[in-house]
Amino acid sequence: MSTNLTPLTPQTEARIQDIGSAEVLVGIPSYNNADTVAHVVRAVSVGLAKHFPGRRAVLVNSDGGSSDQTPAIVARTAIDFEHLFIADQQSILHRIVTPYHGIPGKGSAFRTIFEIARRLNARACAVVDADLRSISPEWIELLLRPILEEGYDYVAPYYLRHKYDGTITNSLAYPLTRALYGRRVRQPIGGEFGFSGALAAHYLDQHVWESEVARFGIDIWMTTEAIASGARICQSFLGAKIHNPKDPSADLSAMLTQVMGALFALMEKHEVLWSRMEGSQPVPLFGFTYEVGVEPVHVNMERMVLHYRQGLADLEPIWRQILADDTFAQLRDLQGTSNTDCRIPDELWVQVVYDAAIAHRNRIIRRDHLLKALTPLYLGRTASFVHATQGLTSVEAEQKIEALCHTFERMKPYLVERWQPPAPQPAAPALLHHTSTDAGGDHE
Amino acid sequence: MSDFINQALLGPLELLGRQVLTVLPNVLAMGIILLGGIFTAWALGSFSERLLRVIGFDHFCDRVGMNAALLRGGVKTDPSRLVGRGIYWTVIVMASIAALGALNLTPINQFAQSLLAYVPHLVTAAVILLAGYFLSNFVSQAVLIAAVNAGLPPARLIAACSRWGIQVLAAAMALEQLGIAQHIVVVGFGITWGGIVLAGAIAFGLGASDLAKELLERRLINRSKANPEDDLHHW
Repeated sequence: MSTNLTPLTPQTEARIQDIGSAEVLVGIPSYNNADTVAHVVRAVSVGLAKHFPGRRAVLVNSDGGSSDQTPAIVARTAIDFEHLFIADQQSILHRIVTPYHGIPGKGSAFRTIFEIARRLNARACAVVDADLRSISPEWIELLLRPILEEGYDYVAPYYLRHKYDGTITNSLAYPLTRALYGRRVRQPIGGEFGFSGALAAHYLDQHVWESEVARFGIDIWMTTEAIASGARICQSFLGAKIHNPKDPSADLSAMLTQVMGALFALMEKHEVLWSRMEGSQPVPLFGFTYEVGVEPVHVNMERMVLHYRQGLADLEPIWRQILADDTFAQLRDLQGTSNTDCRIPDELWVQVVYDAAIAHRNRIIRRDHLLKALTPLYLGRTASFVHATQGLTSVEAEQKIEALCHTFERMKPYLVERWQPPAPQPAAPALLHHTSTDAGGDHE
Repeated sequence: MSDFINQALLGPLELLGRQVLTVLPNVLAMGIILLGGIFTAWALGSFSERLLRVIGFDHFCDRVGMNAALLRGGVKTDPSRLVGRGIYWTVIVMASIAALGALNLTPINQFAQSLLAYVPHLVTAAVILLAGYFLSNFVSQAVLIAAVNAGLPPARLIAACSRWGIQVLAAAMALEQLGIAQHIVVVGFGITWGGIVLAGAIAFGLGASDLAKELLERRLINRSKANPEDDLHHW
């Protein structure tokens, strides 16, 4: 185990000394979330008081230098327990509000939370985003109880989302993670997670904190690292996820770069593990599942198709370097008829993703250029998905995603054949005490 | 008659013979230096090339994208051979200069010295050109991708402008380093670049004032209005 400690402020060190130890810890990474953070703090506090009244609990806010009083709001948010029928609160909820050090980003915020969890010897931890509007106290129970009482190490969220919400997850992160590592984690980049203290210590010992992981690739890294380390993983049904809107056009390229970059980098790290994995296993799902109406999502198909077509015309030399000849030829032959017509079939999309992963590994061009050059392709695929699922219910759209996952799994030999033979390296570390063989019901 | 023969024919011949005898060792030395230089150049060049191949220099260049850049520039030789040939020709040039110096003739010495003094400028100019070439490729690719992702229709034109802008700047710097028409190059470059920027600004201001207004509004006033018709959440 590494002895390198993550630097904390003297005030935080003193606070940890005061608290001594904790059984459960909930972390809230934040940056300018004054609008929503009070609601999140209330939900966490009530969740801990209601579901874990006898356990010593700590709430940690790891802030990235907010200029809108976010940390102050976290510190002063009060909860009226009596009006929530919680009269028998046995333990005081300790709060630690601290800035984080290192590269600005969610990953660095998480690192500070992991470090505090390690110092406090926490048994079970959870992290929730500070911009959530739909979080309820039950989320805390669903993220922590599988760890405290069922012996799991990692709890991924399972949300109800609109069929066009989370398209990077649906078209890339979920199918690729599932095909590579053989576990069906439906929301691998969900944002809310539960994890054991041992897994937090394992995360801290990885030398990734100066890389993209320290920025925003942290979600997919945590999920993949949990699977690869042999941790016991499960999912918890949290209902609908509603959070503060972001400007999609402004963030898309950066988002895609972070998720794809982290996915591809992890493929290199764990190539011995995934190259011999076949098929996929369901992951147990906790919580009471129900249907709920989700906010409608308006999609500008024409804009996405135009983006894709411009990419096909202008980025041709770069795409030819990244993609196999056959893949590029198929893309070129797909010219639609109208401005909203773009139909990249599942097989072709899978080939694109696998070709891109191989090009990333072989450093055909600069990696950041490679990842950013895939944005129009992703938009083309998203437009194709929207085209194929127009008029379908969420359940039917989910079946389409399931079909895409099967295609990713079926075409995995295409990736394995083209991936250069891995250099000899030790097998994936069996970090935690067991290998994942849990196979609960397939709820997808 | 005998005096005439002695003075008019034998004298110059004797003088020539003495001069040849004086210069002959130097010529011999020049030949030896040249031969030695050629041998050393061949030996060093071959050794370097083989050593680089053994340590996987070609593979390294492939990984950092150097091979692709060379191919794009029309160079099909592998990097190890390129370095080997570079060392070969560098030693040949140095040996030639040293060989000329061995003649010990004032004009040739001066020429050799001035040639030697010029070598650092030549090397610097070559480095500037090479760096400019690689930088222009990198920047134009980055600009092209960013422009396409931003949905700008003239993405290729913008990328080409950035590539040629950097290459012209590098060429101007290299010429200045070589001392070729220094002032003309600097002034010419300044006028050309300033003209391009001014023309671009006027064209943008007159022809695309609405776009400029929209861009500024989006950037400064409210970013969330960037695309009000699309509320797709990709994450």
